Amino acid sequence: MSDDEQNRATNQPRGETLPDLVELCRIHEIGLDLIGRSHDVDELLDRVLDEYESRLASLPSDALDARSGGPHLESARKLRGLVMFATQAAALKEKAVAAGELKRRAAALADANTRLVAALDEAEKSRARLDGVLAALSSGIMILGADGAFLTANAAARGLAGTKDASALARLIAHGVPRESEAEIDLPMVGGARRTLLVSRRAMTGDPKSEVVLVTDVTQRNRAVEERVRLEKLAEVLKTLSVLSHKINNPLTALLGRAQILQARKFDDPSIAKAAAVIEDSSIRIADLIRELAQVVKDGRQDAVDELLDMNAAMPATGKRS
Amino acid sequence: MKLQVVREGSLVRLSVSGCDAIDSANAAAVKAEALRLLGAAPDVVVDLSGVEFLDSAGVGVLVGLFKNARLHGGRARFCGLTPGVRTVLELIQLDRIFEIYDDVETAIRS
Repeated sequence: MSDDEQNRATNQPRGETLPDLVELCRIHEIGLDLIGRSHDVDELLDRVLDEYESRLASLPSDALDARSGGPHLESARKLRGLVMFATQAAALKEKAVAAGELKRRAAALADANTRLVAALDEAEKSRARLDGVLAALSSGIMILGADGAFLTANAAARGLAGTKDASALARLIAHGVPRESEAEIDLPMVGGARRTLLVSRRAMTGDPKSEVVLVTDVTQRNRAVEERVRLEKLAEVLKTLSVLSHKINNPLTALLGRAQILQARKFDDPSIAKAAAVIEDSSIRIADLIRELAQVVKDGRQDAVDELLDMNAAMPATGKRS
Repeated sequence: MKLQVVREGSLVRLSVSGCDAIDSANAAAVKAEALRLLGAAPDVVVDLSGVEFLDSAGVGVLVGLFKNARLHGGRARFCGLTPGVRTVLELIQLDRIFEIYDDVETAIRS
């Protein structure tokens, strides 16, 4: 190879492909196995130095001797070629290493991207599941921000807001219910009715600045409690009536019996027989009332009790036959 | 020919003197003695100010020293090149592979 060819080889830009290296080897008269045995640039340089030594040893001793009529140009050219080869091959090797590293990083990036996309997909699924759970809950769930500001609410919470919207309910809660506590609040409803809500404010796990607010309609529950109290009182009244009717019935039976005995006798004074008739009539009426009372006790109905009491209040102090 | 070795920490300075040339007549002896003196020293500064000429065998000695330093995980630096030595190294472009400095101090500091 001429100096010109060597210079062209040196100056030409090259890639990092195997054909490039093969061409380099051809130009510089170097075996391709020199590259094959090298795993990195350092090893390549070692191989070149070995080859260099080998070529030097094969040269005549005066090949480079300027004193003996000038250096042996062909020998010098071959040695130069080896140096050029080492330089160019090292550059190619470095490019190949860099390309490999770039490829490895690109693969790692692609892998990380794949995992990120999968994680995002999973997060989206989790979010959808959570939305589904929140939507399905009959209890209201609200999320408040750091300053108690309304962020979001499920359908149940929006439904419980009544005449207010969810953000107005959130403001009411933020001002009316201390953090980390429970309290009941009353809301006006359409038509003038009121709704009682039990509100529980709790810090959100993983995000202490935000809060989860559980909102439960306890209007019916409170009414149920009131009804239970009323029924308990009614039961007490009925029990008392039962005892009273039983206690009245015994002397009443004796009173009625005596009145009937008196009526069966003959008295000179007709007013006695008349009084006996009034006593019997009144006793019968009282007995009828006691029977009705017993039926009311048996039925356990509040309205019947009320009716009975009204009837008693309206009852005349004396009997019909007076 | 005289080879002198001065150790400065992990660095070894090798001076060649007492001969004008390293050539086929003494190259084998110079190489053997130099490698014996250097042993496994990784960092070597070779002072060639006492060498006027190298032939191919002499170049082989320098390549051998360069390889030996690399073999032990270090570097070989050459300094004090006379015009005759520099001409030969530039002719075969070994100056593109070797670390070459003007003098010993510069080589040590590098």
